[in-house]
Amino acid sequence: MIELKGVTKLYQGQAVPAVQNLSLSINRGEICVFVGPSGCGKSTTLRMINRMIEPSSGTIEIDGKNIMSSDPDSLRMGIGYVIQQIGLLPHRTIAENIAIVPRLYKWPKEKIKSRVNELLEMMGLDPAETRNKYPSQLSGGQMQRVGVARAMAVDPSIMLMDEPFGAVDPVARNRLQDEFLRLQKEINKTIVFVTHDINEAIKMGDKIAILNQGQLIQFGTPEEILTDPANDFVENFIGYDRIVKKLNLYTVAEAMKTSFGLVDEAEFSGINAKIPNAEVIFVRDQGEQLVGYLTAEDLSAQGAQRLTQVARQKRLSFVKLNTPLPDALSLMLENDADYVAVLDGDRLCGAI
Amino acid sequence: MSWKFFSEALFQKAPHALLVHLLIVFVTVSLAIVISVPLGVLLTRRNYQRFGIVALNILNILQAVPGMAVLALALPLFGLGLKPAIIALLVQSLLPIVRNTIAGLLGVNNDVKEAASGMGMSARQILLEVELPLAMPIIISGIKTTTVYVVSVGTLASLIGAGGLGYLIMGGLALFRFEYLIVGAGLGALLSIFFDWALSYLEARITPPGIQVE
Ligand SMILES: Nc1ncnc2c1ncn2[C@@H]1O[C@H](COP(=O)(O)OP(=O)(O)OP(=O)(O)O)[C@@H](O)[C@H]1O
Ligand SMILES: [Mg+2]
Repeated sequence: MIELKGVTKLYQGQAVPAVQNLSLSINRGEICVFVGPSGCGKSTTLRMINRMIEPSSGTIEIDGKNIMSSDPDSLRMGIGYVIQQIGLLPHRTIAENIAIVPRLYKWPKEKIKSRVNELLEMMGLDPAETRNKYPSQLSGGQMQRVGVARAMAVDPSIMLMDEPFGAVDPVARNRLQDEFLRLQKEINKTIVFVTHDINEAIKMGDKIAILNQGQLIQFGTPEEILTDPANDFVENFIGYDRIVKKLNLYTVAEAMKTSFGLVDEAEFSGINAKIPNAEVIFVRDQGEQLVGYLTAEDLSAQGAQRLTQVARQKRLSFVKLNTPLPDALSLMLENDADYVAVLDGDRLCGAI
Repeated sequence: MSWKFFSEALFQKAPHALLVHLLIVFVTVSLAIVISVPLGVLLTRRNYQRFGIVALNILNILQAVPGMAVLALALPLFGLGLKPAIIALLVQSLLPIVRNTIAGLLGVNNDVKEAASGMGMSARQILLEVELPLAMPIIISGIKTTTVYVVSVGTLASLIGAGGLGYLIMGGLALFRFEYLIVGAGLGALLSIFFDWALSYLEARITPPGIQVE
């Protein structure tokens, strides 16, 4: 756990502190995102955690221990650090770059070698192909991956990441974010993540700390911040599409109806078709393939004979349980549909 | 033009003169490196940075004094011989190396240093493993400037009795032996070209492969 208590940083020659009386605590295994406009003190705060900058007042504790009581170099060796500019050593190969901290810990050569390969694989890079290249031979996205791999080399429990995906194009950034979130599920590190992009903050953060002019304006989960912005600044910072952003927090699984009807097409031919009483009824053919759906209104408006056509006329689309809610909604708009079917694997499990 | 004098100059006088000249160059340049590189490093460390301008200005002024004058000044202070000549040449050898060491070290990308220190490398490790290797090509280029300078101004060293190729040149002038002049000056020129070439080669070799790629 990282705990900041009344931390203030006043740079020499500055009239206003870059960070002012900031207190917050970051739980183990959590991604805490510092977000705010340029110059609000995000990097300064981050860099105080590994003593790249010393606070003017206040204390910072890691697992209950004041960081000022550790030697700065050994403190930093134990904390992963990724910066936007990455800072790979240009005269060292990728493998040597990743091996820096393990070498500081004097790991044996063989252990370093296998760890480097493991990390490269973890970051989606081919070890054989990448190991002996120099940084200038990699693309921006590949360099970012190496930067993250290097920070994770000795498996530190804490990682500080200052706009780690800031230097790549939006598509690559999205991929890196997704991959990193997936990875985080396995590695479960305590991560302090700096960004000036609120969307990235919402996506990456378990907690978000919104800073402005060196002060902590709001600290909470993305949901709390989107639901209940502390003031106008936060509201403006989030932007006008707050509701849409909030939808992003949900997946189909959280919004779907689990009560729905399911009938075989063949049933309609019988005069006393047993039609379930539900808001939406999915229709399947003899091969048990879903072919369409009916709404309660269709049932009351149409004769049983025509129901098959009505059901088949509607374009049925499918989403998965973990599809983000906005994607499901835009699919509905695109197909002009009232409902989409939710699949869990290939089993129908709900409707939206 | 007489072949006799020419071969006398080339085969009897030149080997020794060349050897002395090389000795002057090696000793002076080695001392210059040993003094200048650490000085340059010191002047880029945070606590000493503010002395950088002062130090460079002093060295600049020393550099501006004509080489002949420095040698002449060394005479009353240190007497005749090799040692005063080397001291005099050394005074003027420092600037290019100090200047290039500072430029090379300041030129190392800040992000690289920030990342290195953020990973827990000590200041010493950063200097030895990051800053100096990255600055090395520029430092070597400073050493090259100094070496070529010492080779040429070193010919004046014979004025205060240090010998070297200057001895042949002066002798040629005094005795009106054109052949001596040619041998002395020619060897001096060849020596300059050789050092320039050798150090350029070293500079290219020492440039880290990751940087050459660009
Ligand atoms: N070394 C320094 N000396 C003096 N002032 C500094 C120093 N570093 C940062 N500052 C100032 O402190 C304030 C906060 O800087 P900081 O780098 O923490 O901002 P940031 O939130 O990371 O901004 P950005 O999004 O642009 O990276 C800024 O006003 C900046 O000018
Ligand atoms: Mg910053």
